Amino acid sequence: MSTRTTPIPDPVAMVPPGVSVSIRNVDKYYGAQQVLHDVNLDVKDEEVVCLIGPSGSGKSTLLRCINHLETINTGSIVAAGQIVGYRMHRGRLHELRPKDVGNQRARVGMVFQQFNLFPHLTALQNITLAPRKVKGESSAAAAAYARELLARVGLEGKENHLPWQLSGGQQQRVAIARALAMRPEVMLFDEPTSALDPELVGEVLSVLKDLARTGGKTMIVVTHEMGFAREVADRVIFMDAGRIVEVGAPDQVLGDPQHERTKAFISAVLH
Amino acid sequence: MTANISPGTKSNPTIKPPKLNVVPVRHYGRGTFAVIVCVLLVLAIKGLIENPNFDWAVVGKYMFNGAVLQGLVSTLLITVVSLVCILIVSVVIAVMRISKSRILSSFAAGYSFFFRAVPPIVLLIFIGNIGLFFKNFELGIPFTDVMLFSVPVRDVMTPFLASVIGLTLAGSGYVSEIIRAGLISVGRGQHEAAAALGLGGGQALQYIILPQALKVLVPPLGNECIGLIKTVALVSVIGGGDILTVANAIGANTFRPLEMLMVVAIWYLIVVAVMSIGQSFLERRINKER
Repeated sequence: MSTRTTPIPDPVAMVPPGVSVSIRNVDKYYGAQQVLHDVNLDVKDEEVVCLIGPSGSGKSTLLRCINHLETINTGSIVAAGQIVGYRMHRGRLHELRPKDVGNQRARVGMVFQQFNLFPHLTALQNITLAPRKVKGESSAAAAAYARELLARVGLEGKENHLPWQLSGGQQQRVAIARALAMRPEVMLFDEPTSALDPELVGEVLSVLKDLARTGGKTMIVVTHEMGFAREVADRVIFMDAGRIVEVGAPDQVLGDPQHERTKAFISAVLH
Repeated sequence: MTANISPGTKSNPTIKPPKLNVVPVRHYGRGTFAVIVCVLLVLAIKGLIENPNFDWAVVGKYMFNGAVLQGLVSTLLITVVSLVCILIVSVVIAVMRISKSRILSSFAAGYSFFFRAVPPIVLLIFIGNIGLFFKNFELGIPFTDVMLFSVPVRDVMTPFLASVIGLTLAGSGYVSEIIRAGLISVGRGQHEAAAALGLGGGQALQYIILPQALKVLVPPLGNECIGLIKTVALVSVIGGGDILTVANAIGANTFRPLEMLMVVAIWYLIVVAVMSIGQSFLERRINKER
């Protein structure tokens, strides 16, 4: 079975300078069904990119591939200077040990649609757990940074609240603080406002806008909030049926889409 | 009093909601059955108390007999030690069961199948008499002459140890399945959130999955506890020294076996009542935390 394949070039070496996430020729299958088709995308340092598209277009799957929650079938993804999930050795990719995957993921923060806060831990414990257990930070240092982050997302005084004592918007803001606590270079947001009551969407978006404006982090946001994308994204990427269909500045993609499929989608969501 | 009452409070004792003035349905079947149940209960209790062949004085005499109390302590000790062993073994088996390794998960599945299928009393008799099959406990490397250690079975396999091992094997077959159900009940999102933060599998299990599974597990594990203390009575067949072993011995000597069984039954009622109160207290506390 293990035939000697010809050595492949190191994916890291092919990443252009100033790029923090580089996705090259990525195909992804669920069983026999192909869900990503030859996806190529470079996201620059501190760039804010919004992924839009209909349900099932592969946006979330692509996002989940970037921190190895899903594995890819072909191609390569480089994030924060490392091949996601693998390492190069003598021209071949070697699977990483779980611990090394964990260390990679520590550099890529992720915020989920369903928040996924740990229900048995307080807001503060949710935020400090990973810094303490993965990065070995002291409890005091982790707690101090956690309080700083809670203040930043507008939740001073909620340290000791359990998730169920918080509204959906507050839970998602804790989840954002939890991801930021690892001081990641890249932040992935998987439809961060889709599970929220309409009146709570604004508070989460304003935290995201603040993050985008402050800079310092590469952000990839899967979203259906077109207003948000137009306001904060450096680039908007439209995906359909597992392919990147159109990439461009927000005003161009959302205001003057070129591709027929993009036009149909934009006119449908903007009424 | 009235000054404290705020409108909209849920349980307000002073407000009596009006009731429709109707003739209620008469439940004749229910009433008849209740009467029958009461009559049967009275007859059973009367028969037991007034039976001339049953000497309640003996029950009273041996309730707090030193040997009986020692047997009770043994029962409790075997229960606690077995319970701890069951929980440890069960977590290991449950984690093996959900492992991605086919060999580990098959082994775990086979383990729970085997020890759920074999009656606990058979296991206990077998382990209690294991000295008949094996002269020594030894650990060596298979197919070589290398021997790491070897001890005579008779020296180490006391009735107490045999009881604990037998009960642990029998119990962990069930409890590992309960714990597996608890582990599975923790949603995929929790596993993903833990992974995305860089936590390893063991760390996720320890800090995220097990604590949440525990909440689901308290009611069934409480039941299992109460079941276990009753199963402990089985160790009397290998002279485990529990309360039933002692009571049987006294009963045989005094020719009062039924009275001695009554002593055991009453002690079990007391202990299980205490455990049930503890269980409901624990459940209420966990529900409060939500």
